[in-house]
Amino acid sequence: MAATVELRTRGRRPSRLLDLRRDLPETLRWLLAAAGLLGVLGLWLWAAGRESGSVRVPTPAATVDALREQWREGTLWSDTRASSSRILYGYSISMAIGVVAGIAIGSVRSVEATLEAPIGFLRYVPANALTPLLLMWLGIDEAPKITLIVLGTVFFNVLMTADVARSVPRELIEASYTLGARRLTVLRRVILRHSVPGIIDVARINLAAGWLMLVVAELLAAQDGLAFRIVKAQRGRRVDTIFAILIVFGIIGMLSDLALRWLRNATSRWARP
Amino acid sequence: MTPGTDIVEATTSAATPERGAEAAQAAKLTVRELTKRYPGRRRTPEVVALDNVDLHVGAGEFVALVGTSGCGKSTLLRIVAGLEQPTAGAVRVDGETVVGPGPDRGMVFQNYSLFPWRTVAGNVAFGMELARWSRAKRSARVDELLGIMGLTEHAERLPRELSGGMRQRVAIARALATEPDVLLLDEPFGALDAQTRLAMQEFLRSVWLRTGATILLVTHDVDEAIYLAQRVYVLQASPGRIVEEIVLPFTSQRGPAIKRTPRFLDLRDEIHDLLLST
Repeated sequence: MAATVELRTRGRRPSRLLDLRRDLPETLRWLLAAAGLLGVLGLWLWAAGRESGSVRVPTPAATVDALREQWREGTLWSDTRASSSRILYGYSISMAIGVVAGIAIGSVRSVEATLEAPIGFLRYVPANALTPLLLMWLGIDEAPKITLIVLGTVFFNVLMTADVARSVPRELIEASYTLGARRLTVLRRVILRHSVPGIIDVARINLAAGWLMLVVAELLAAQDGLAFRIVKAQRGRRVDTIFAILIVFGIIGMLSDLALRWLRNATSRWARP
Repeated sequence: MTPGTDIVEATTSAATPERGAEAAQAAKLTVRELTKRYPGRRRTPEVVALDNVDLHVGAGEFVALVGTSGCGKSTLLRIVAGLEQPTAGAVRVDGETVVGPGPDRGMVFQNYSLFPWRTVAGNVAFGMELARWSRAKRSARVDELLGIMGLTEHAERLPRELSGGMRQRVAIARALATEPDVLLLDEPFGALDAQTRLAMQEFLRSVWLRTGATILLVTHDVDEAIYLAQRVYVLQASPGRIVEEIVLPFTSQRGPAIKRTPRFLDLRDEIHDLLLST
């Protein structure tokens, strides 16, 4: 019987699970995704099962009950609507400024030279440090909250959009000129158009900062809204309610991200990897 | 004309070019005493990219500008297109001085110049949209051009779904769409593989014969220049200077077979020698 010959090998054997940048088999992908979700749920259940000291974690079931209770009282819907509409207004204004200023800064050197210094200064002023000023100047209604969302996100949106505009290949701009395009036409139909997927990505990334600012605003002065509900629950020591609201935040975030991703793919088939 | 520039006449006159080779007075495009200097900085010396360059292209003529990389030939073409400004001298089209880019000078870049979000038809139509052609007129012209370019069945594809050769055909169609006075080609086949390159050369010749366009081609490929053009300018590097103007002795009806003729090979050697001697 021939002895098994151990062949020497060369090269690094690829790993199915940990290869860099290599696609996973579809089933493995789903398995891992499910494992991730179940892992979090398991951790939660484990934490909820421990009764130690002052930290009390509600069970998933209790959290769902709290959610139901809020739904019955109607506050879940009204809070979600109040917070979402603040985000919608504030973030729309912020994106509008971001797109106009960002495209201008990324495309026109004179605009860039003029605005670089002031933006460089302003963006390091933490927006939430402005809350007292905004409350003094704008009262306690919607205006200061929306303004805070704008201030907390607009500089990121402007600067990141400017980067997106800068990455438009110069040859596209030059080709447009040789085809008879004027500057404004190039801005609109070439630079802006080419930037659409990048701008949607910018919106996706900075939307999280928008919610951050919303919470800051609602914690300080509000009569409704998801973050306001958290403060109220704290006074009543309703940990389950707080958990319920946190989950609502997560779900809204995920949904808006999905929506923006869909928008990106719908408008920019050409830019898909 | 610059010193050292003399015209090498065709050695035999058996085959004279049929179309407008020597029409300096009827020149569509003239470049006069063009100089482009890039000023030096503290540690970098001044660069003279183009030194007193004169050239002209007659109406309907196909002229090539050949030179090694870095000799300023692309700079020259970009100045003609109006994308860069000369330090001295002027570019005129039909007697009018070029001050900036315009649709009268169509340009084909080496690479990456198609709008990636527009379909093939959309890319070709862009210049016509800017010129406010009617929808009917646009689509008729797109159909016509895609027919010439052999792209009819790819009209609705995106640039990323096309091969390199197809992309350049789209770029040529787009540049020709509004019938510019001059078509400028900047190393249009430089990024293509050898086989595609030869096919595209044939294709460009047929486009020229069919459309009668006035063409200025910039290339580092000597064979390409001789095979396609009626006249060739040889540009030497640092400073970029035209050292020779050669009127090619081949007819417009030439085929690939001429590439093996002694005359072709002689011209090729001559130009290669010129490019090597600096």
